[in-house]
Amino acid sequence: MRRFSMPFAVWATLFVTLFCGLVLFAFDYEGPRVDSLGLSSESLAYDTGAANLVSAIYLNIRLYDTLLEVLVFSVAVLGVHFYLGPRGVEEQVEGIPESHVIRTSAGLLLPVIVVLGIHLVLFGHVSPGGGFSGGVVAASGLLLCAVALGAEAVGRRFHETFLERIEWGILLSILCLACAPLALGRLPLTDVLPQGQVGSLVSSGSIVLYNVLIGLKVFIGTWVIIHFFMRHRGEI
Amino acid sequence: MTVLALLPLFHFALAPVSLLQGRLARRLSALAVLVDAALVGWLLASIAGGGDLGIVMGEAAVGLGIRLVADPLTIGFTLLTLLIEGALVAYLWSEAPRAYFYTLLHLLFGAVFSTLFTRDLFNIFVTLELLTLVSFLLVGYERKARQVWASLKYLVLASLGMSLYLIGVALIYYHTGTLDLDAIAAGLPPGPVPRWVWLGSALLLSGIAVKSGVFLFSIWLPEAHARAHSAVSALLSGLVIKMGVVVLIGLAATFPVSVSLQVLGAVTGILGLVYAITTDDLKRMLAYSTLSQLGYVILGVGIGTAASLTAAGSYAVAHGLFKGLLFLAAGTAIREGGFRDIAPLIAQRGRVSRGVRLALLVGTLGIVGLPPLAGFAAKSLLTHATAALPVQGVMFLMSLGTAAAFAKLGRLLWPGKGAWGSATANLSFIVLGLPVLFFLPLAWPVLPRALAAAGRSPIPYAESLAAIVGGYLLHRWIRRRPRRALPQRFLRLEEGVMTILSGFFLVLILVWLQAR
Amino acid sequence: MGVLNGVTVAIILFGIGLLGLILRRDLVIKLLALGLINSSTILCLVSLNARPDGAPPLLQGNGLGAMVDPLPHALVLSAIVINFAILALALVFVMLLVERYHTTDSRRIEEEVAREEGE
Repeated sequence: MRRFSMPFAVWATLFVTLFCGLVLFAFDYEGPRVDSLGLSSESLAYDTGAANLVSAIYLNIRLYDTLLEVLVFSVAVLGVHFYLGPRGVEEQVEGIPESHVIRTSAGLLLPVIVVLGIHLVLFGHVSPGGGFSGGVVAASGLLLCAVALGAEAVGRRFHETFLERIEWGILLSILCLACAPLALGRLPLTDVLPQGQVGSLVSSGSIVLYNVLIGLKVFIGTWVIIHFFMRHRGEI
Repeated sequence: MTVLALLPLFHFALAPVSLLQGRLARRLSALAVLVDAALVGWLLASIAGGGDLGIVMGEAAVGLGIRLVADPLTIGFTLLTLLIEGALVAYLWSEAPRAYFYTLLHLLFGAVFSTLFTRDLFNIFVTLELLTLVSFLLVGYERKARQVWASLKYLVLASLGMSLYLIGVALIYYHTGTLDLDAIAAGLPPGPVPRWVWLGSALLLSGIAVKSGVFLFSIWLPEAHARAHSAVSALLSGLVIKMGVVVLIGLAATFPVSVSLQVLGAVTGILGLVYAITTDDLKRMLAYSTLSQLGYVILGVGIGTAASLTAAGSYAVAHGLFKGLLFLAAGTAIREGGFRDIAPLIAQRGRVSRGVRLALLVGTLGIVGLPPLAGFAAKSLLTHATAALPVQGVMFLMSLGTAAAFAKLGRLLWPGKGAWGSATANLSFIVLGLPVLFFLPLAWPVLPRALAAAGRSPIPYAESLAAIVGGYLLHRWIRRRPRRALPQRFLRLEEGVMTILSGFFLVLILVWLQAR
Repeated sequence: MGVLNGVTVAIILFGIGLLGLILRRDLVIKLLALGLINSSTILCLVSLNARPDGAPPLLQGNGLGAMVDPLPHALVLSAIVINFAILALALVFVMLLVERYHTTDSRRIEEEVAREEGE
């Protein structure tokens, strides 16, 4: 593919180099700062009940951001459905040929992936993980199924419209959970369930619920996006 | 003040409901307007009652939680959102688009309400990205190739801008340890400004400028607003682009960016008009005019005094009203008349219904600043708020140019005889047109002192009438000269990235000059 | 800190992404470059307060070590999901354009669209 004319390429490189140079020059990066956190880590953990401080932040204190980001994800699924949904298959592409090796290894790996996904979602408030990573892991497990069995077969098992309705239902549940504190006279998006003991499975109030709901949503949404892409192309 | 969180949450909840219950979507949107009106009324009542103006989401110390605040400027924009929502629901009533469209609308309004109230750097990032994605899907709604291409360019450039913004956020967080705008303002070191402050301000400003309609940064705007479905154009030009301005107001209070904003505003205003005067496509002219009017507003934000901020905010609200009205009317006019270009439309004006032509007339009178309509009121506030002569000169030139651009519409504006057109479309025109006509009495309870002071001198009246007459004469003079096509190459994607970078350098230099 | 730290690498990657976005005409490569730009901002955020001897921000039950700052990690989670959504939707639109015009060259698509609009 032809590139652009020489002067334009030169100008572009100059601009970009100047940009990088200026940013590097003026960033004043002096290594990590150890005193940035507004609250101390201990109070953060014990106030929210979550051992995983990152979960404590994005699922409790900055839950509003997370809610908006879940909406961004839903918008992506919505857009993919609208544009790729009604189209038929453009051209039939030869899929990955039937292979005993793939099937067997998929069968071996799949339980591990599913268990890992469930663990990430359920224990997201204690160890690294959370709804997003767990959902994506589970969706990649389903993708592995599609590679092994063919997209058609998996698509027939997990019916498209039913999945999407569940996904929007989950979004509604997340919003209901968010507004539930209103009934108790608190602001929405705050945590009103009991905290429990830090570090155990039953702790940190509604963080676990959010993790489960977000995990389900991301799982279904990622699978729907991947499936639409596969179906549009004709096969995986 | 929980209503600050309830407004966006309500719309976000309506989005999946509209999708799941597709047949009820249209009626749900009408219901949404009523509930919104009630919520906004509650908000106004709480403020009038002297309640606390903000809440912190997260109930943590400020700096870690997200603060939502309502101040008088925000209230003006909230009312604008309500009016545009009502007008849009009425306009779309007979057209009845799919439930998907209504879902996107609810998500958009929720995102708009979220952006209005937030005072947290990262929350601004997330809400603006939601706004970008939903607008992107709305522009490409009809799946025509030119809309798809325009919205793709919009997405790429907006994403690039937001990445610049995010690096700025990282920088500011690294040096100040907080993400809250007021905490940052308090935490900035006094005296000579260190390097990272001007780099951070330049990065943040560049990122938001991409979404605010500043000329060097927003080259996606003419095509995206012109090619979209007219209801979407009304929404984008009338409402969404103002969200960038709202964020700019918040940034200007914290960072030393006022000189940059003034320069960028002036350049945007004048260059936008040059293109608006010379283009023949109706919706493109309206889109270029949006660019230039935003230059006006950004110039006002850059001046920085309380009076000029109020004036800039009121002008943004007024512009949202008449630009929304103009786009809705233009959409119907193009559909009824059958042409996108202005000259053939004027020839076919018999086919355009009276309601549409009346709406175009009211919108045009508003935008050129005929006293005592909305545009005049807001413009006189702005000219009153600044005493610097070059700034007043630039503003007068902009009024002149706007009048010259809109004089092209000519006989299309005269209602004349003919059918009145669809009732719901006329209802939408009334919802937007009445506030344009009666802006002064409506705004009086909110801005009494400023308006009274501005209205006392005869200068604004003389100025606006001179601008209108002068603009018309300018239009006649231009029409006689041979037409030379202006460069359109800058609308391409690569040029867009280059202009963003050059804009960034310009802002960096200006911020450095200001904060030295 | 040494010259080669996370933030420096992030900004250099940002520059490389910018060059790719400007200089390559293939739409898919442009999207890849955009993805690189987005990822570099994420790298910048994560490596802001990163230390080689820092402990992950988990309360292990045996007191606090020198933990890294958890706030940028929380911000990064949102940023990653947003970047994923942008990339998915941009890819869909690129697919639509490619099916319509049978080319991935941005310059040619621009010309075709302008020609169609002029008619």
